[in-house]
Amino acid sequence: MEKSVERYNYRSNITIDWCPGCGNFGIVSAVTQALTDMKMDPKDVVAVSGIGCSGKTPHYLNIAGAHTLHGRSIPYAVGVKLANPNLNVLVMGGDGDLLSIGAGHLVAEGRRNSGIVVLLYNNAVYGLTKGQAAPTMPLNEKVKSIPRPNILDKINPVALAMTSGYSFVARGFSSEIKQLSMLIERAMKHKGSAIIEILQPCPTYNDVNTLDWFRKRVYKLEDDKTWNPVVNDKSEEEEKFNKGYNLSLKWGDKIPIGIFYENNTVPSFPERLSKIVPDYIKYPPSDQDVSDKDGYTIVDPIKTFIEKEIE
Amino acid sequence: MQETDINLLVGGPQGGGIDSAANMVSMAFSLAGYNIYGIREYHSNIKGRHSYIHFRIMHKRPRSLKYPVDIMVALDPDTLFEHMFDVSSNAKIIYDTSFDKFELKNARMITSDTMESIRNELKSRNLTLDVHGILDYFRSVGAVPIAMPFDKLINDYVPEGPATRYYNTLGAGTTLAILGLDIEHANEGIKYAFRKKPSVVDSNLRVIKAAYDYVDKSEIKPEQLKFYPVIPRILLTGNDAVAIGKLMGGLRFQTYYPITPASDESTLLENHEDIKFLENETKNLKKGGLVVVQCEDELSAVNMANGGALTGARSATATSGPGFSLMAEGISFAGMTEIPLVVTLYQRGGPSTGLPTRNGQSDLLFALNTGHGEFPKMVISSGDMEECVYDAMKSLNYAQKYQMPVIHMIDKTLANTMDLVPEIDVKRVRIEKYRDNNNHENYKRYDLNTDDGVSPYGVFGKDVFWMTGDEHNELGHVTEDTSLRDKMMEKRMRKLITADREIPMEDRAILYGNENADITYITWGSQKSLLLDAIDELKKDGISANLLYLRMFAPFPSEYVGEVLKKSNLIIDVESNMTAQAAKIIRMNTGIEVKSSILKYNGRHMTIDEVIKSTKRIMGKELEMVVLENGS
Repeated sequence: MEKSVERYNYRSNITIDWCPGCGNFGIVSAVTQALTDMKMDPKDVVAVSGIGCSGKTPHYLNIAGAHTLHGRSIPYAVGVKLANPNLNVLVMGGDGDLLSIGAGHLVAEGRRNSGIVVLLYNNAVYGLTKGQAAPTMPLNEKVKSIPRPNILDKINPVALAMTSGYSFVARGFSSEIKQLSMLIERAMKHKGSAIIEILQPCPTYNDVNTLDWFRKRVYKLEDDKTWNPVVNDKSEEEEKFNKGYNLSLKWGDKIPIGIFYENNTVPSFPERLSKIVPDYIKYPPSDQDVSDKDGYTIVDPIKTFIEKEIE
Repeated sequence: MQETDINLLVGGPQGGGIDSAANMVSMAFSLAGYNIYGIREYHSNIKGRHSYIHFRIMHKRPRSLKYPVDIMVALDPDTLFEHMFDVSSNAKIIYDTSFDKFELKNARMITSDTMESIRNELKSRNLTLDVHGILDYFRSVGAVPIAMPFDKLINDYVPEGPATRYYNTLGAGTTLAILGLDIEHANEGIKYAFRKKPSVVDSNLRVIKAAYDYVDKSEIKPEQLKFYPVIPRILLTGNDAVAIGKLMGGLRFQTYYPITPASDESTLLENHEDIKFLENETKNLKKGGLVVVQCEDELSAVNMANGGALTGARSATATSGPGFSLMAEGISFAGMTEIPLVVTLYQRGGPSTGLPTRNGQSDLLFALNTGHGEFPKMVISSGDMEECVYDAMKSLNYAQKYQMPVIHMIDKTLANTMDLVPEIDVKRVRIEKYRDNNNHENYKRYDLNTDDGVSPYGVFGKDVFWMTGDEHNELGHVTEDTSLRDKMMEKRMRKLITADREIPMEDRAILYGNENADITYITWGSQKSLLLDAIDELKKDGISANLLYLRMFAPFPSEYVGEVLKKSNLIIDVESNMTAQAAKIIRMNTGIEVKSSILKYNGRHMTIDEVIKSTKRIMGKELEMVVLENGS
């Protein structure tokens, strides 16, 4: 069911109200670039977000969008994906949204491997509530919006995603739009669930991890021609996982961006379901007739629940 | 000849096969042409603690349970103590001879509070604190203990053992033999109860033979039971009935997180993702299966169901009190963004973890007020098996039609009631779909140009549109414009007025019985059938009663309820909670204060005997409010 669209404007006409210099602008550009490159039918893709600056993203895109509850974007996205596995579903969430209030869902999604693409906006602060420390801010870091050095330590999103079972794990940078759009495209073509941590500055509240701070540190994994994180055979799994995982621990003067791990041997949730649920891909829950021409049920309750019957 | 009316109780340790015994007994009586009504009671525990099933067996369909019981089977000594006050003066009590040496202090699974009251009763009668004492107690009230050598009998017929595994079949088989059922009926009961474990059918059949042979050779005189022609029926619990109704009603996406007493519905559905379809006229339709997702928590369950609904799939979740608390925010979101969501709410004893495996109706006001902010939602309630089936279908219809969350309330008693249902009518409820969108070019998800408040429903995959839990404009983008805010609030709430106008009264409130009566009962949920039985019983004593039965709390049928109550004499509110919540809702909506109530909040189902007794006390002006205490 390959459909394609020429010259579609994936940006909606809604005025963006993020602060000047926000990393989110780069993310919107990378998403629209990837959709353009893929000639994606706007009806075949859904953007789902939670709450926070990141949560506004779907309104700025000219594709179907659900701006949901704080922390709950992943359950919404999975609901959409499993009820209609033929849709491409993008999750846009901040570090607080996905790693604090919604952390349970982020981890659980690794086990499901539903085939959604999670874009994790990481600027280490809660922007919309005026700059409190997010779960990605390191211990003892002092940015201008917090009253004392951060008393909590940080979560490592890439390492967490890998150990949670995501079958595609990458990191991008909001100012490396070309690479980021490539990562999004690769993630969307991947069958299982994908997560891309996106490093970005918050020019208003985070005066430590600035645009320059990131620019000096990031380097692209694909620049090393020997780097191959893709698992196409179970025998490669352990070695490639270990390499990706060890790399995810590197942080400091050099910060790797690119694909850390891609495992194509893990069946996606829709693939697992299609072994149990008849005609799941052809007639998913979203696309079934549930009544006959007179409006009555088509389910035979006795035959379906035959074991309950008493003759 | 007096009509057969047997109350039977089978008690034993949790994990000791009470369920199999219950299935066996139900099937056997059903084949003899009888109807059964049973409720299972259990602890929050996997193995060991006391659980029991209480059955009522009649030819006409029983709708309530009655204490005291006529026959009790004790699969462990604890049962004798736990139910010491539950037996009638000529009851037969079947137990194992090996219990003889058992002392009350060793009944470690009886909770200390219950132990205390048993001890006090035995002491006050100068009886010993052991099985001898309890048997003496039974004899003193006129009951007949029947001791059977469980191990020896089983070992004679099933030498391969272990004997303990067959206590349930022996106890239940002996009961059937005493009650005068054919051994063939008992055998069929075994085949049904163990239909998923064919390897144990043969040995259990031999245990049935052991039971019948034993009764045959003993001095026990079996009852003369009349047999009736058998009509096809289905044995259902409330959980089963809702699952069947949802699937018939078009459910294709269900999410859940495990919780008692809700999960049985979801696991049954999980077992039937491969739907079987009616053959006529469905050939060219798009037919697929059901997707059931076990989620990481109830936050995920409710929001995932919301997500499913956005694709057009009929979606629902099922939970109980603690899980429902977690779902509040997702329900508010569904209200704001106009998502057709169904939440089946199985009530248990609260607050907090409360009485996790026991009955309660204390979540009514919570369901009505769930979620922050003001948004339309529907709250409906079922009271018997048929309502569970058809209300589940209607819930999905309402959600689709009015694009709002629908909370379908069931109580634990109903969820765990076993009832033989004559038939399921596939043409009782028509399936109603959401108002389709046919303007795909300039689609406005929240089109304000609507008289009834309902805008066309677009779905992901067919339409490009936006949605947000923030206040929004017609396109679904965030707005804080004051006049638009007012318009959107009014549009959403108008749907409730539409529903109030469109839904027929019999789906919302029903007056059962004669309009002019001495007493008007008010109730909702599982007490419905019990009160219908009570009305019949009271008639025998020359007391006329009717029942105002409530099925829909939002939108509330205020006018109708007000009219009925204005014409009533003595009004008695009957609910399984402490604060008479339905009576509060009536007062809130009609201004009528219901002063008399029969309430129960010990976590056990009401029984007809205690309701009738309390009614008479209220009629005699002895009390205004009676708190019921039956149950173990």
